[in-house]
Amino acid sequence: MARFVKPLRARQFGRGQSNAGHSGVEEQPKENDYSSQDLQSLDLSADLQTNLGQIKAILSECSDVIYREFDFAQDDRIKLAIIYVDGLASKSQNSDQIMRALMLDAPLVEERVEFTRERAFTLIKKKLLTVHQLDETNSLGGVIDAVLSGDTVLLVDGHTFALINGTRGWEGRKVEESQTEIVVRGPREAFVETLRVNTSLIRRKIHNPNLKIEMMKLGQVTRTEVALAYIKGIVNDKLIAEVKERLERINVDSILETGYIEELIEDNPRSPFPTVFHTERPDKVAAQLLEGRAAILVDGTPYVMTVPFLFIESLQFPEDYYERSLVSSAARLVRLFALLISLLAPSVYVAIITFHQEMLPTSLLLSLAAQREAVPLPAIVEVYAMEIAFEILREAGIRLPRQVGQAVSIVGALIIGEAAVRAGLVAPGTVILVALTGIASFTYSYSSSLSIRLLRFPIMALAATLGLYGVICGVLTILVHLSTLRSFGTPYLFPVAPLSPGGQKDVAIRAPWWAMSRRPRLVGMNNLRREAAGLKPKPPPTRGKQ
Amino acid sequence: MLEGGKINTRQAIALMVTMVLPTAFLFVTSVTGHLAKQDGWISLLLSIFTALLIGWVAVNLSLRFPGKTLFQYVELILGRWLGKFVAFLYVLWYIHINALIIREYGSFLVAAFMPETPISVFMLLILAISAYAVRNGLEVFTRVNEIIFPLILVTVIVTSALATPEMDLKRLQPVFVENGPVPILKAAFMPAAWMSEIVMLAVLSPYLTQIKDGYKIAATSTLITGTFLIISFVGGIATFGPEVIGGWLFPALNSVRVIHLANFLERLEVTVMVVWVAGALVKISVFYWAAVLGSAQWLELKDYRPLVLPVGIILFATSIMLHDSILDLFVFLGTAWPPFALTTFQGGFLLLLLAAAIIRGKVGKRK
Repeated sequence: MARFVKPLRARQFGRGQSNAGHSGVEEQPKENDYSSQDLQSLDLSADLQTNLGQIKAILSECSDVIYREFDFAQDDRIKLAIIYVDGLASKSQNSDQIMRALMLDAPLVEERVEFTRERAFTLIKKKLLTVHQLDETNSLGGVIDAVLSGDTVLLVDGHTFALINGTRGWEGRKVEESQTEIVVRGPREAFVETLRVNTSLIRRKIHNPNLKIEMMKLGQVTRTEVALAYIKGIVNDKLIAEVKERLERINVDSILETGYIEELIEDNPRSPFPTVFHTERPDKVAAQLLEGRAAILVDGTPYVMTVPFLFIESLQFPEDYYERSLVSSAARLVRLFALLISLLAPSVYVAIITFHQEMLPTSLLLSLAAQREAVPLPAIVEVYAMEIAFEILREAGIRLPRQVGQAVSIVGALIIGEAAVRAGLVAPGTVILVALTGIASFTYSYSSSLSIRLLRFPIMALAATLGLYGVICGVLTILVHLSTLRSFGTPYLFPVAPLSPGGQKDVAIRAPWWAMSRRPRLVGMNNLRREAAGLKPKPPPTRGKQ
Repeated sequence: MLEGGKINTRQAIALMVTMVLPTAFLFVTSVTGHLAKQDGWISLLLSIFTALLIGWVAVNLSLRFPGKTLFQYVELILGRWLGKFVAFLYVLWYIHINALIIREYGSFLVAAFMPETPISVFMLLILAISAYAVRNGLEVFTRVNEIIFPLILVTVIVTSALATPEMDLKRLQPVFVENGPVPILKAAFMPAAWMSEIVMLAVLSPYLTQIKDGYKIAATSTLITGTFLIISFVGGIATFGPEVIGGWLFPALNSVRVIHLANFLERLEVTVMVVWVAGALVKISVFYWAAVLGSAQWLELKDYRPLVLPVGIILFATSIMLHDSILDLFVFLGTAWPPFALTTFQGGFLLLLLAAAIIRGKVGKRK
């Protein structure tokens, strides 16, 4: 592999001109080495052994590559060879549809057709190979790319073209229930690590020729397949152009997860807030596409990105749209409230305890004061310590092996709860507060909750120094920051700021489906209307007459 | 283009209301109540008319020079040298008025909430946040305002509604006879000066998506502001009576203090602080933006962002140096400021500019 992977040099990370296949990868030719640029321009020779020799040189020390040379049927004038990667290509397909077809079934065809060396290629292609997907290439690079992505390449002696058989079939996870985004009502399947399976999951939701899935390869070393999905006619063409441009600009050695791409294409790289959405639910992605968004799928990860991402989506979940609208609206309000709690509760508590005791009703103040009497720490230290303890527990909870996880979380809960209070280190009120804050941060989208969790800490410091005024200043700064953000050109706080009256049907409340007749204005502006007017169910007209 | 943003009519109305209401809400009741006693609402009505008139002048002037701000078209009206001079005065004016606003803001927080904290802490913090907003342009603080604006209106309405048990509308009587016209007229000056900040439209108009809606923006926002000022004034007088109101610096704060609900909702002054800080942020940002944009246009720069920091420093320094104490500030705001503002930059100058524009035939029949 060492020859194929050439060291990345700093100057290669410039804005490269992209080639037609959206591979977006450019390489400098290097003498005495088969770099990718060389390979794409190197033609196959007519001689089988020369080709094999070159390929073996390129794929030297790759123990998982298999070369199988054989003769065509009984006719030993026509030499053939297949090359594939063990474990990536389906062996049964190889033996049934390629080797069996060419070695054993060939005589059935040969009886009627006269085989010669010259016609062999076309006849093999047209009459013998029974694989579903068949391409051809005349470059060495094409062969290598195909082999390494799981296809089987068939070389025919005397021909400068190689046949690429679509035989990708490796071991992968089955489509299972989503682990991180769970719903009570709604489809349960989640994306897996194989790109093709993921695109099929989307295609199964949207049976429409306008659902387009464009492919490209990113990452100079990893050559990861990336797909861009959108619905033509709904999506804004400018958005697609913009997404493509940003993807083509990417010039890195590896793409192992959507997060790599996310950080390379987002509008505000320094912001703590995510401006790209990711989910592992196909129904969510389908809904996003139908609102006029674009989805980016990456091979090797079950997380699919969609853009543009608006802050309000942190509060929207697939289930909202499956459950009754009144119930969903109530849930939205709960989430909004929980978002505010998880951002502000500790700092407001610190501010009130430290500076604004007069705001509390007397009885509540007395009870809080009684609790805190024995506590040796100032409120801010206490809350900071507890919040950090909670973050440690949460982090440990994710990282721990499943067998010990349970035990640790119980012990942890006891330590930061019961024992700390008994020992007089913290007030019971603080424990309630920290627990509430922690739980509240799980009610809305995970990626937004990470940012909110982070921002909670500086606001607590502001609360401890300037009281509620500090809290307000912190919130205003966040608000100004949120207002500066855009996700692929769409203001982050849309449809609240800039205000879109129609958009309010899907913000704090979720209007019934018959009322949400339009897509969000700035996202789906290309094709706003999504349902006919007057869909509200009415009692049948006969009822009054009876 | 210095400022690439565009805002629509609704955003502009909200911006103009937030630009005036939060500060006026806090100070106007006291001054009007002090001078005109229970008849202050008549003064407020008068000031609404004044503001409408001034708004009309500002918009009319701007419509004659579409795509140009006040700082640019004074040159077209008065010629290059005199125009440059007047534009410079206007930049200074926006720095001056903003320094006063920042000082009011700091004084209020120190006097009402945190007497032990140095005033410069408050002023620096709000200036820093404003600078961040201004640096990112008109659209950003307009969007911030779209979230703050409803909060302000709801807070004013809810706190007024919660205070109704303490109100007695008889305290507004007798109407007119006790005071006579002179105190009412005098009392109208200050709210008029406040509300005529609508002159900002002369700077804002090139950045409206619907320039022709200028009149609508001026009228609607002035009426909304006026209505809320009258509600807060009437509420204050009905709760405490004119004698008490006139003696307080921040009657709005006391109106909120009387709220007692279910033995739990009390001491809601902090809501006033929230509204005040949030509103002041928008207000300071708008004036800050005008000053920065004005200086950039005056210097004919391509980008105003390098000026944000220097103008901010000037604002901070000016706001500290202008007045010795909160009383000094309030006496200035209550006596010298309103006639000065109304006869010069927020009224008189604009009338003169309009007259000059008409006389010099710059009308050009273009709309």
